[in-house]
Amino acid sequence: MKFKLIYPKWEKLEGQTIFNLPPHGPVVFAAALPEYVDIEFVDENVDTLTFDDDADFIGISMMLTGQIKRGWQIADEFRKRGKKVIFGGISTMLHAEETMEHADSIFLGEVEGRLEQVFSDFRNNKLQKVYNFMNQHPDINLIGPARRSILKKELYYHKGVRMVDLFHASRGCKYNCYPCAVAYLGGKCFRPRPIDKVVEELATIDNNRLFIVDNSLAQDKKWEMDLFREMIPFKKKWCSHPIEDDDEVLDLAAQAGAWFVYQAVFDTSDYIRDRVKRYHDHGIAVEGTILLGTDDHSEDDIKRLVDFLLEINLDLAEFTVLTPFPHTKAYDDMLRQNRIIDHDWNHYNAGKVVIQPKQMTPEKLQELYHYAWNTFYKEETQTEKMFKLFQQVIMKEIADGTYTRVREDLSRNSFGKQVIRKANN
Amino acid sequence: MIKQFNKEINSDYFDEVYEFKGLWDVTSRCGLKLVHKNDKTVVIATELYAENPGTSVTNYSAQLAGILSHHFNIAPVNLIFIVHDPEAKSKLTFMNEHFYKVDFEWDGTKFNYPKWSQIEKQIVDDLIR
Repeated sequence: MKFKLIYPKWEKLEGQTIFNLPPHGPVVFAAALPEYVDIEFVDENVDTLTFDDDADFIGISMMLTGQIKRGWQIADEFRKRGKKVIFGGISTMLHAEETMEHADSIFLGEVEGRLEQVFSDFRNNKLQKVYNFMNQHPDINLIGPARRSILKKELYYHKGVRMVDLFHASRGCKYNCYPCAVAYLGGKCFRPRPIDKVVEELATIDNNRLFIVDNSLAQDKKWEMDLFREMIPFKKKWCSHPIEDDDEVLDLAAQAGAWFVYQAVFDTSDYIRDRVKRYHDHGIAVEGTILLGTDDHSEDDIKRLVDFLLEINLDLAEFTVLTPFPHTKAYDDMLRQNRIIDHDWNHYNAGKVVIQPKQMTPEKLQELYHYAWNTFYKEETQTEKMFKLFQQVIMKEIADGTYTRVREDLSRNSFGKQVIRKANN
Repeated sequence: MIKQFNKEINSDYFDEVYEFKGLWDVTSRCGLKLVHKNDKTVVIATELYAENPGTSVTNYSAQLAGILSHHFNIAPVNLIFIVHDPEAKSKLTFMNEHFYKVDFEWDGTKFNYPKWSQIEKQIVDDLIR
């Protein structure tokens, strides 16, 4: 049976360096497919989608709210052609009711051990409208290595440099952060994968650079330390979300190849200053993730925060505006206070203001968002700062003998398209 | 149906944990206090955040009001529904304690179209004392 799995494109943030990473959800999904399913994967961000083909069954995998309207369009086109369409993924779960209107079926929850039923139902013309496995987590031991062989790897190179592969060592999150829907999606308890399973998967990945996509590694110190110890021999270089703020853990992380972390910076406190310094002391760079426009933010607070980021020598900063994604406390608050001013899901990319901020106008917050990006990257552009980080990882790789040269045959390509060089005149 | 809950939440507005099936039948929990006063019943449903494995009270207000009305035999017209965000002991002001009164339209079989109005603690106190 031919199954076509599609990852819809979304509009990238204006003015930002574009990197298309190989998606994680589809490769995890593909690993759980029955053997008789012949899968073709199309990532519309880097590839061309065609509608007239011989696929028997269409799957649409959506991670971001910004993907859902395009996902619905794609489904509508295939359904016009008589194809059955099933949706899955994080944003299908966040927007399940709306997505059902464009679907023959939706899958809610995690797939391990459950796709045999779906495909058997499809073959017997008994596809169910909803496969509801919300909060019914499969045995963590069932999560095997993701099936990265479905990816067209050449599409994830920029000027000959391969992008990081995505990888997960745990699911769920014990934290319940204000703007985040992970607690709703993955359950409010941390579910670490057994270390031997993680090691088994690491051994299958031919990419030396990884992005460990777990929500936070800092949820179980013993497991985290065991993980890092086992990772050391692989000599991978990786970025991740926060690591435990503990010298022993940070030291192990550095030995295991920690390259940089995404760390939320929410105020100008000494705690944040010291937290960033401790990462730096262990040779781990920090990309700050900075949320602007919370109820506590005045215009002065935001400007002061940007100054602070420069003062503490953050390696990179990613600014976003408070966006009320469904099933978050932020959404509940904005809904109850009637402060959602834009209901177009395409605008929910965390770069466009869709709420009425408490302490300023939406226009002012939008202006401050651009101010933050422009001010932080005034002396050194985002590309230059990224290049510095890239140089750091190359030096580490040269030192431990894992460096591989750029692909010369792809040096004039960027994510599958030829780079058009501008003449300097 | 009702379990003990150990978390420190302002007990003036919280007597017990109420478990319900939320969106997609996910087991969900809220804090609950019912106060009968004159011919009205004030229902205070407290958001439990990390202690709630499922749907928030806010996200399920109309359905939850229906469930509670049925379970506790409260005539829809006599139900006053209040959502309580407990103090989360955070320096972030949006995690402070808040109360919202929720008004619905009753269509004869279920509550619809929730509308939230933030109210002062004093108003809640007046309603339940």
